[in-house]
Amino acid sequence: MLSFIGRRLLVAIPTIVLISVLVFFLQKLLPGDPVLALAGEDRNPEILEFLREKYRLNDPLYVQYFNWIGNALTGDLGVSLRTQQPVLTLLAEKLPVTFQLAIMALVIAVVIGVPAGIISAYHKGTWIDWLANVVALSGLSVPNFWLGIMMILLVSVKLGWLPASGYQPFTDDPLQSIRTMLMPAFVLGTGLAATLMRHTRSAMLGVLQSDYVRTARAKGLSEKRVVMKHALRNALVPVVTVITLLFGELLAGAVLTEQIFTIPGFGKLVVDAVFNRDYAVVQGIVLCTAIAFVLMNILSDALYRVLNPRMSDQ
Amino acid sequence: MSAPLLDVKGLSVRIAGTSRDLVADVSFTLHPGETLCVVGESGCGKSLTALSLMGLLASPPLSVTGGEALFDGRDLLQMPLDQLQALRGDRMAMIFQEPMTSLNPALRVGDQIAESVQRHQGVSAKAARARALEMLRRVGIPAPESRLDAYPHNLSGGMRQRVMIAMALANDPALLLADEPTTALDVTIQAQILALMRDLQAQSGSAMILITHDLGVVAEMADKVAVMYAGRIVEFGTVAQIFEDPQHPYTIGLMSSMPTLGQRVARLVTIPGVVPQASQMPPGCRFASRCPFANASCAKTPDMTEVATGHRVACWQVPLEAGIDQRVSA
Repeated sequence: MLSFIGRRLLVAIPTIVLISVLVFFLQKLLPGDPVLALAGEDRNPEILEFLREKYRLNDPLYVQYFNWIGNALTGDLGVSLRTQQPVLTLLAEKLPVTFQLAIMALVIAVVIGVPAGIISAYHKGTWIDWLANVVALSGLSVPNFWLGIMMILLVSVKLGWLPASGYQPFTDDPLQSIRTMLMPAFVLGTGLAATLMRHTRSAMLGVLQSDYVRTARAKGLSEKRVVMKHALRNALVPVVTVITLLFGELLAGAVLTEQIFTIPGFGKLVVDAVFNRDYAVVQGIVLCTAIAFVLMNILSDALYRVLNPRMSDQ
Repeated sequence: MSAPLLDVKGLSVRIAGTSRDLVADVSFTLHPGETLCVVGESGCGKSLTALSLMGLLASPPLSVTGGEALFDGRDLLQMPLDQLQALRGDRMAMIFQEPMTSLNPALRVGDQIAESVQRHQGVSAKAARARALEMLRRVGIPAPESRLDAYPHNLSGGMRQRVMIAMALANDPALLLADEPTTALDVTIQAQILALMRDLQAQSGSAMILITHDLGVVAEMADKVAVMYAGRIVEFGTVAQIFEDPQHPYTIGLMSSMPTLGQRVARLVTIPGVVPQASQMPPGCRFASRCPFANASCAKTPDMTEVATGHRVACWQVPLEAGIDQRVSA
């Protein structure tokens, strides 16, 4: 297993290099000049030229790229053109926020989606299945921003159960931190739960018809054991892949949800950076997310091998 | 003779939305230690019969629509699920046709056997594992200690079927249902598996229902034979009666389509036509459209008539006059 992960990490290096190239050059193709954004109203050519020199924007593109990637390898992703803060510091500030939101949303999604998928597959064609599908479809169709606003109105304004917005670092006050994050996590999680439910349901449907499930029944095992041990174990293989990919997506930040609940995560950071042509920050975030995605993919494959013993021999 | 272990009367199975039975009015008895071979073409209802007895029909759409199956005096077809679960894998066990897909690919074979032992004998995990090891040894798996922790994909088809047998026999069932246990295996392995099943059956004294379409297997294994055609038992008798004195035109057709060693024939004899589809099952005798002896009386479903002690045939034309063998094969 370790050698498998090691191999996969090696293979991931060219992928990440390619992503860094794309991120860097695609952004250069975008209209807009960061120096103009930085200088604001003051269009004095000397100042503009000074800024270009300072940020070495006059160098050829490939030199700029190698400067950037070379620094990135030493942990220096540059400084934000706007706030002058190091990008790495910005990322380090936002990452725990987004990470916490992603974990909580994922837990909610799994806790709702996987059991719902199992139950609806087991009761295929009955009103239970029908109900689960209707709920899942609603979960997929209801936009997050609408659900978020409705929840704030109901849970915070009317009932006063949870704070409407804000962020409390987990390390300062874990309970309060979870309370403030609960609603946004729920909004994100329910949408993903619907996806997970559909995947779990279809995987379970296939597995429940398999010969080995019939064998398990022929052994006299209870239905609960047949489903939870013999069927679920096999059905989980594709579902785990989906879960890890969803987690990768969550790490990229949930722009709208973060805006509604004013959570200072990746989503908000990236939107602000794009609007301000804050290249260094955008590049840093995209690179960071891409690496997270690649890592999630490797984790997904590793779990796949754990769950599917046929894979681990190869 | 002692009381039968299994007494099936009028078992019928139907698929939802149709009016004809896929298994119609199947009746037979089985005594402890006996082997009944159920023989017939694909799709004639052999497997459905066995699955209904185990309560394993894919329901919906399949369901038992009539009859009873007394096992130890209790009706399997009416039994609540929890009681049935207590019997399955314990007093009655089943081996399936496909060893490749019938074992759970994600679980170690030792655990899959031990699980059944623990479920029914209530022993510790350690004792169940010891029993699993003993069973692997009994079914002739080499180096059984190391195989306990193997996954199904580590084993060959023959080995997997041995594991299935070990699993089925782990709790010494009184009745073993084997649904074409050797069909998916190589010919040489087939013989080994059959010999193994016969030995283990002799040791444990369990009764067996062996489903097959292979008359060679029947000749080797059976005490009694039930010949099924399109969901009905058309002939029932001892293995000697069926092989030496077949009465039903279908059975006679089956016998003459079997190649004989040492005889060179240009072409094997076949029964013309195919088994009717479930949706197009004719009223009356279901074999009539393929039967060289059919006449107007065959429009009514024939009753089982006893032609000799324990030898029953469902055909209006029985007894057929002499010389029919030639007419069938012509």
